[in-house]
Amino acid sequence: MTIAYTFRWDLVPESAGALAHGLKVTLELSALSFLLSLALGLVVALCRLAPSRPLRAAAYAYTQVFRALSLYVYVLFLYFGIAAVFGINLGTFTAGVVALTLLNSAYMAEIYRAAIRSVEHGQREAALALGLGHTRSFSSVVLPQAIRVAVPGLVNQLVDIVKDSSIVAVIGVFDLMGTTIQLVNSERAPFELYTVTALTYIALILLVSAAAALLERRLGRHLAGGGAGPGPLSRMRAYRFGGEVPA
Amino acid sequence: MTIALGYQFAWGPVLDRWDLFLLGAWLDVWVTAISFVLACAIGIGIAVMRISGVFLLRAPAFAYVQLLRGVPLLVFLYWIYFGIAIVAGINFSPIQAGIVALTLTGSAYTAEIFRAGLQAIDRGQGEASRSLGLSRVGTYRHVLLPQMLRIVTPPLGNTFIGLLKGATLLSIIAVHDMVRVANDLNINYFTPFEAFTAVAVILVALVAVFSAAVTLLERVLALP
Repeated sequence: MTIAYTFRWDLVPESAGALAHGLKVTLELSALSFLLSLALGLVVALCRLAPSRPLRAAAYAYTQVFRALSLYVYVLFLYFGIAAVFGINLGTFTAGVVALTLLNSAYMAEIYRAAIRSVEHGQREAALALGLGHTRSFSSVVLPQAIRVAVPGLVNQLVDIVKDSSIVAVIGVFDLMGTTIQLVNSERAPFELYTVTALTYIALILLVSAAAALLERRLGRHLAGGGAGPGPLSRMRAYRFGGEVPA
Repeated sequence: MTIALGYQFAWGPVLDRWDLFLLGAWLDVWVTAISFVLACAIGIGIAVMRISGVFLLRAPAFAYVQLLRGVPLLVFLYWIYFGIAIVAGINFSPIQAGIVALTLTGSAYTAEIFRAGLQAIDRGQGEASRSLGLSRVGTYRHVLLPQMLRIVTPPLGNTFIGLLKGATLLSIIAVHDMVRVANDLNINYFTPFEAFTAVAVILVALVAVFSAAVTLLERVLALP
């Protein structure tokens, strides 16, 4: 064991520009995958609740398979396997977005499904009794209530998307992680650069979690007892560091 | 984007090496198992610190969870394998680095699960066992932990599966797991579809088996 390492923290401000560009790619990748999986997840959830049996079975298989695969394995499969068979040369960024979207839409489908299930039966029955059609009573009565329940969970999924998005660096996307790997290769300062990148991810994820908590509070306002209790802001005010988190 | 069909499927190289794939999968499983056990051990400690009355125990445990949950596994892996190695002069083997990364990442999740489990138990249980004369340790050992085990089984099962999926990343730092086997095969025979399909099938099967095991365990632990 030799401890004779000279830290080169001055590299950090020097590489700030490149890292900021990588961060931008990470944000684009995450935001795009998030929006696409929000839509795809809803479609899969609707299929899981559809009256048609084959459709339900297919949607069930979809959620089970994509929740079992790791993003790394799936990115490799998509970028090398599918690409070779169909001769489709997906760009690295596109492959990353497709992989993140498919995997996360499976999780989101489960969140949507649980939320739709949580809407009281009487709501749908009342809508039907009032003369709305099946489609109408679902789209204007059940779904709007379900979305409210689903949103905090869906936004929390963004935390996983941001973290998982770092994996697409292995197929050569220059996101925050990809840029860092490249910088490490040229500068030979893995500790400093990976530390900065880790801290950046932590900051990003704390931000997203805070946003999810805020949304949960705001969307729960109409519920009895104010949904999730006092919001994150009032909780923050009442909170002493390390103390019991006020409910 | 160009499309050109004409891919010749060749399952032979994959099927001939089924034993290598299974050996690789086995490596993923035991690395996950070791990391999971260690993560649970650390997680219980952190959870007990987080609900402790002492600020100096509570605050670092809170920071530990918040920080570690925010770091992507890949970043953490590189940080340990390349960063720590060069700074502290510790040369982890790839498997060791993988186990350390999986353990620490996992411990942040297990700590939150154990904390939720401990807080879900009625306060009166702890108070009653203290007033019956059990020591602090005895209260945990005989009253709180057994009750907590029932609550934490399903989420711990999810964490285990999450770690298993994370373990597939270790091939990046040259651990010879099933993804590495697939990668090598792809390089030698150029059969990416077959090789990565094999990995995907094994992974889906493993997750199905472990989910079933967790369901079974829940049933065994359930109160009659």
